[in-house]
Order: sequence, then structure tokens, then C-alpha cells
Amino acid sequence: MAAKTRDYYEVLGISRMASENEIKKAYRKLARTSHPDLNPGDKAAEERFKELQEANEVLSNPENRKKYDKYADKWRYAEQFEAAEAANAAERQTQPGRENSRADGARTGGFDFNDYEFGGFEELFNRGGRTRRQPTRGRDVEATLELVLEDAHRGGRTTLQIKATDICQTCGGTGVVEGNRICPTCCGARQVLNTKPIEANIPAGVRDGATLRLAGQGGTGAAGTPAGDLYLHIRFRLHPVFTVRGDDVETEITIAPWEAVLGAAVQVPTIENSVEMKIPAGAQSGGRLRLRNQGLNKRGGGRGDEYIRLKIVVPKDVGDEEKRLYEELRRISNFKPRNTNQTKGEGEK
Amino acid sequence: MTMDFVRISDYDLDEPLTVAMVAEITGVRVSFVIRLVQAGILETINETAATPETTTQKEPVLLPRRAVLQLRQMQRLRRDLGVNSAGASVILDLVKQMEEMKREIARMQAGFSK
Repeated sequence: MAAKTRDYYEVLGISRMASENEIKKAYRKLARTSHPDLNPGDKAAEERFKELQEANEVLSNPENRKKYDKYADKWRYAEQFEAAEAANAAERQTQPGRENSRADGARTGGFDFNDYEFGGFEELFNRGGRTRRQPTRGRDVEATLELVLEDAHRGGRTTLQIKATDICQTCGGTGVVEGNRICPTCCGARQVLNTKPIEANIPAGVRDGATLRLAGQGGTGAAGTPAGDLYLHIRFRLHPVFTVRGDDVETEITIAPWEAVLGAAVQVPTIENSVEMKIPAGAQSGGRLRLRNQGLNKRGGGRGDEYIRLKIVVPKDVGDEEKRLYEELRRISNFKPRNTNQTKGEGEK
Repeated sequence: MTMDFVRISDYDLDEPLTVAMVAEITGVRVSFVIRLVQAGILETINETAATPETTTQKEPVLLPRRAVLQLRQMQRLRRDLGVNSAGASVILDLVKQMEEMKREIARMQAGFSK
């Protein structure tokens, strides 16, 4: 919230005397580093970009800039202030024409920023867009959905709060009602930002980086025209246990030296539960074992595999008896962990 | 609070669209979409149709639905950063590569930290 009241000149890093060209240059330069299309999934960059865009939108329009210079963050109410002043100065002279010019100003001046929040960034980009050819079709919305691996694997219902720009239903997207009065719902912007809950059925086997389309779940269109679509970009949250490689998952388990030497049956986690896995005798640290069909659900049916990476760990503190046995082991073992390749290997490094 | 139950219809955006549909959805001219196809910036589903004579060919050029998203991104890059279509398509490819690398790095880091 604090960010919203930041000085627009400060946001763009320019002086109050900056020329139009300087504003444009500063905006472009900063936009390059925080543009959501160049930083997908980066929420901080998205926030920065919104701020930038808001600053640019106001300052690059000479009329709005003048208002901003005079009224700062209350610049949107400039017309009300001025109208009030005018009304005070000449109360009886208010004429119908005044109403007209105000409506026009509101329309060209843009939008009501009071509730300036966004679901995805698509509706932000769409504001004042150039969809001249079919201005009444509903807006498409893009949003990112973060999934935990288990949900992506199983699929299922999820509830989303989607903020979409809808065509204003009060004025039917014209911005005015009853002749020439400015629409009270959208304040002349012709569209309103609505939040709507959507329950979506996420198909099992969805993958990180996939995009799902929910037809007709974007912004509503004007009467008789189709609603926009909702595009959901899927991202996996980093899983504490598993890493994902395509359809396969990989995890690491730690084993004791004797488990590695003698073989063992250990309990390993799977995406759904856990299974007992046999570690063969003579297993090596870093070795990978495969659990067939314990990976992620595939789209067309079937499952990927799970890979278990072994890591041999040794006890830090050993008791006297254990120590004695290790010493005994050292004495009788003819195992040479650094034999033929040792000097060569080191030399290469 | 009403709640719609939504079935996701298109999984991976491979749904074929005609040039006219892509143009309509994104609000650009048909000729512009054709130019992008001819320049190899937008990929088509049916490769053979994507020749310079696209408009007169019997087989219509079909684009996957993801072309809509790509075109939108290009429009945004043009509007916000002044990048032309060819530049935007290169940028988007690079961003995609970068994303994959970031993911790979995250995976590797997750593996090493254990």
C-alpha cells in the first residue's frame, strides 16, 4: 500500500523538470528490467512494473502530469477540486456544459485507480489497449497458479480468485448512461475490475511451465459477445523431498556404511506414500536406484519413475566397541578406496 | 458467493486456430499475422501451408493456440519497450531458455543442499 503513494517522479528516477522525452526514456529503461514478460513468475518485478506503469501513465500525459504536479496523489480528483472551486467562486453559474467536459475528461483521463489491484497482469496491459477491431470481446486474463507437487500429480479441484476486467454492465461498455451522464459504476472507464472465484479442475499430470486455458473465464464481454479466456501458467513450488525431471522424480536417501556393504531394505518416500526398497549389497554413494512407476502421473495414463540417489553417511561419534570393530575392519580389509586412478585423478584437478 | 465449476478444455495450447481467429482474438490485422508466419516468427501447425502464398492456398494455415499468447507478449513488449516483432520473438525465446536454466539450477541446488 505504501508503494502506491510513492512519488511518481521518484519511481521513474527523474526530476520534476524532466522533459517528455526523458520520462519516456526513464520508463523504458526501468521497464526493461522489471517487465513481467521478461521476468515471468517474479512477483517483485511485477509490482515494480505496475508502479512504473502507473507513474508513466500519469506523467507521460501532459494534462495528467499538470494535475499530478498540483494535487500529487490526489490528482485523480483534480476535476472535482476544480469543479468545487469553480462552484464556490460562482455558485450560480454552473452550466450543463460543465458536466459534459467532465465526462470527456474522465474518459480520456483514464481509470479509477482507487482499487488498483491485479490478479494476473494481463488486465493491466489491456487497459487502453488497441483492440480496435473487436472492442467488445471480453478480456483475456493471465494468471500464475503455484501447485505443490502432490496436487499436480493427483490433479483435482482448486479454487482461484481471479481478477478480471469486465465490460461495465451498468453502461454496457459505453462509459455513459442516460444521454451523456458519466457511468457511476465504472466512472467512464467502460470496464470494471471484478474478482470472481473460480473452481477449476486441474488435470492429473500437469507439469511445471504448462499453461492451461479456461475458455470463457476471463473478463465478460459486452452483451452478445464472448467472454475472454483465462490462461493459467502452472508453476511448481519447490518440493522439500523431490526434484522433478519430466515424468520422473528424484530424491536422496542416506544409508549407513554397513547398509551399503551388506545391502538392506529401507523405507523410501514416494509421491503418494512410501515403499520399502531393497538396497543391493555393495551400493555406492551417489548411485541411483530406480523405482519403476513411482513417478508422476502422465497425461495419457501411466506413470514416470522415481530415482533414489544414495548417500552414505558415517556416524560422527562411535563408542569404544564400535571403534574397536572399525579398527579390526581396517586391519583385515584389503579394500583400497584409492587405488590405481588416485594420482591420475588428482593430477587432472 | 457463487462458484462456477470449470473444466479445463485445452491442456497444452495445441488447439489449432485459423489465422483469422488468431487475428480476431489478439485484435490485429489478418495480414499482420500472415506476415509473422511468413517471417517464421509464429509457428504453424501444418508446416507445408506456411509458404508465402499462404492466403491463396487451399489448405488453411493453422496456428496453435499458444500463438495467441506469444502474439500478446509481443504486443506488450512493443508497447512497453518499443521492441519490434522480430526482436520480441528473439527475446521471448531467450526468456524461455533462461527460465529453463533457472529451473535446472533450482533443481541442482535442491540436490546439493541435501
